Amino acid sequence: MNRKTTFLVVILMVLSAACSKPYPKKITYLATASVSAYNLQYLNKQNELAKTEVVPQSVQDVWTYEFTAEEGDIVYINGKYGDINSGLKIQVLIDGKVYKQESTVGDTINYIVVSGVVPYE
Amino acid sequence: MDALSREPVENAQVIILATGEGTISGADGFFSLSVSHKFPVELSVEHITYEEIVLTVESNKTTDLILYLSPKSTYLDEVTVLGSFENEKPYRTETISAKTITKTSIADIGNLLRREPNVSGVRKGAVGIDPVVRGFKYAQLNVQLDGGTKIEGGCPNRMDPVLAHIDINDLENITVYKGPFALKYGPNMGGVISLTTYTPRFYEKFENHIEAFAGGQTNHTGFKSSFGVNGGNDVVAYYVKGNYKKYGDYEAGNGEVITSSLEQYNIGGKLAVQPAIGHTVTAGFDRSWGRNVDFPALPMDERKDDTYLYNINYFGTNLGNVVNYIRIKAYDAHVEHEMDNKSRPFSDTLVAVSQITANNAGGKFGINMNVLKGRVEAGVDYEQIDKDGVRTKYLILQPNLPKIYEDLWNNASIKNFGLYAEWQRSFTSLDIIIAMRYDHNVANSDTLIRGKENGNVVYENTNTGSAYNNFSFSAGITWHINERNSLMFSFGRGVRSPDMTERFIILLPVSYDPYDYLGNPQLKPEVNYEADLGYSFIQNKSGTLQVSVFYSFVKDYILGELVPPSQVPPQTRGVLGVKKFTNIAYARLAGFELSYATPTRYKWFARFNAAYTFGVNPEAVQYVRENGEVVDERIIDNDPLPEIPPFETNISLGYGFFAKKLVPELDLRVVAAQNKVSEANYEQTTPGFITADFVLSYHYHEFLSIYTGVTNILNTNYYEHLNRRIIGSKGPLYEPGRMFYLNLRFHL
Repeated sequence: MNRKTTFLVVILMVLSAACSKPYPKKITYLATASVSAYNLQYLNKQNELAKTEVVPQSVQDVWTYEFTAEEGDIVYINGKYGDINSGLKIQVLIDGKVYKQESTVGDTINYIVVSGVVPYE
Repeated sequence: MDALSREPVENAQVIILATGEGTISGADGFFSLSVSHKFPVELSVEHITYEEIVLTVESNKTTDLILYLSPKSTYLDEVTVLGSFENEKPYRTETISAKTITKTSIADIGNLLRREPNVSGVRKGAVGIDPVVRGFKYAQLNVQLDGGTKIEGGCPNRMDPVLAHIDINDLENITVYKGPFALKYGPNMGGVISLTTYTPRFYEKFENHIEAFAGGQTNHTGFKSSFGVNGGNDVVAYYVKGNYKKYGDYEAGNGEVITSSLEQYNIGGKLAVQPAIGHTVTAGFDRSWGRNVDFPALPMDERKDDTYLYNINYFGTNLGNVVNYIRIKAYDAHVEHEMDNKSRPFSDTLVAVSQITANNAGGKFGINMNVLKGRVEAGVDYEQIDKDGVRTKYLILQPNLPKIYEDLWNNASIKNFGLYAEWQRSFTSLDIIIAMRYDHNVANSDTLIRGKENGNVVYENTNTGSAYNNFSFSAGITWHINERNSLMFSFGRGVRSPDMTERFIILLPVSYDPYDYLGNPQLKPEVNYEADLGYSFIQNKSGTLQVSVFYSFVKDYILGELVPPSQVPPQTRGVLGVKKFTNIAYARLAGFELSYATPTRYKWFARFNAAYTFGVNPEAVQYVRENGEVVDERIIDNDPLPEIPPFETNISLGYGFFAKKLVPELDLRVVAAQNKVSEANYEQTTPGFITADFVLSYHYHEFLSIYTGVTNILNTNYYEHLNRRIIGSKGPLYEPGRMFYLNLRFHL
């Protein structure tokens, strides 16, 4: 290779190394700690609001939903239960670590929301 | 003229070797010298990018010389910062060459400009510094690229002013024309900042060249880099270049970490064709990306900025004895700008995302002719700006994740059609220049409206149309008292119509004070009546001394006026109320620049400059605040205008070892405290400071140059008067502390 070609290859290698993109994040919604039916509303992987009704068999039952997101994407999940003697705990995990969580037990305000933005590194 | 392209060469230094008398060629390549020495005389013509020529002028009769300069095939790293009165232009200009850019760690054009006398900048983040020239800023300045391309930034808070859309490594030079005198560049009220990007060069035989740059630094840790290929023959020439830069946060002198990370990259190119000697057609494009650029002094950060620039130019000479040249230009600049508050604590409850598209398209035709024993350049130009933007608010703590859409601009448009003429003539010891300009400016927008979540309308304005006929003129004279001393005087009336923000912004805190601002479609144009007086002493043994003073009377100066909350309630958390742009009767500004540089013939060099500007609002209204609310108002006579930089002086010392291959340079900057602040606007005073920078330039050989240095050697903790305050804090936005850097420049 002549001098100009060598120079060109080195520069392109440096530039390609510099232009690395951030890895996508694994988002997990968790809902648990309820003894009766509850409704969830959450932003899904299509970035649309989805609804579901969960009927747990026991207080240990866990409802989960996983998808991948980019930095800056909004994560959002809310839950509402009808039985005042029940409760609910919702967590949002980013790459397996708890990002935000809320819980309520036997509260007349039987509604919780966990939301935020996938942080930029 | 360029020997290959036949284009005029600006800023060529012409010196009579026997006496040291000299001058500099103007934008049109022309220069004139009155010679006191007996003939024949030897003339030296130097330019940073051309081979030096020395010629003998035999006759003492008035002679027209056409000089052809050959482009240098080698790369020069010599620093050239010229603060000068342009030849035959009796007003102050500042010129910065690409070589200055190469040796610095600075990554932002606005930041680079702040080194020039009476040029400052409004900082809101690490980049996007908005220039202020002699106290004029924003739309009061005409900022343009490559002889007429204009760009409309997207952000209402000007996080992306024109300069932010151009990579600093793409520049060949920057010229600042101060005052309302240079009228052929478009509407000019306070000054013109003219940027010139890299130009394809024609070669006698086909050649290719590679150019690369890499620079890294500690503090604001990161790097900037560029890679370009250029070449061609005597018919076709090309230039393709890409730049990439990425930086993290920086640390101020007191150790405070300032959020300031960013990533920006671009690729661009130009293709020039010369079908016949003296006729060149050049087409160019530039595509740039900005990603995750932090602005700690604004409510949002730039998430994404995509800019598309296209232009085509014709330049023709060899058109006979009457026509010197013809220029034709067309361009389109499109910006898609997205910003949000996702990195801010407030996004825990409300996520706001703004998306704006801004387009600026236009063109220019100019012809330069020999008329009335002088030269006249006349032409037409046209510019159309279209802007639309919406802010989406996500209420992320509420059921159903409600979204609110708010217009920032609503299909707003400004069109400006201009006619201009500039006539110059040289007499034995006098140069005269007279310029005139007429602009027809039309603007409109869809209804300016802001609704509330419940459907109520907070503000609505359907009267959005306006049209203005603006007339500007300027006249100036340079008196060459003798070979070394010249006096200059200029007087001008520069008119500019209100910009997009001043006309159409809908309830956003877009200024330095804590108010939501409303555009006013019926604003009148601002008119600047300015007089400049200058003196210059140029001698090749003693150096160059230049002094300029100016006085400016601005009629219908645009400021904000409080709107009672009963009429329009504020919509942004934490603001004190709503202000609407309005014209005050007048404002005054005055100041001076002083500069001195030793001749380039010596191994050692010293440069010095000092500058000051003072502005006054003769009858300012202060809105008295109590407990975060406006409770009263009072008149303050002769209140200083806000956002005027303080007195500043710069000193540079250096020495060229080994035939100037190794050049150490020490730069000192001394900035006075700014205590003349606007009481009406509760503007805060700023302490003075001193900083010192050091750079060592080493020209290893023609293929490689190395620059290494340290900025803010004393690790001074300081901030500029025009730096905005950090959002969510009462603290100022400090400048970076001590930083070490290394730049490498390759050229093959």
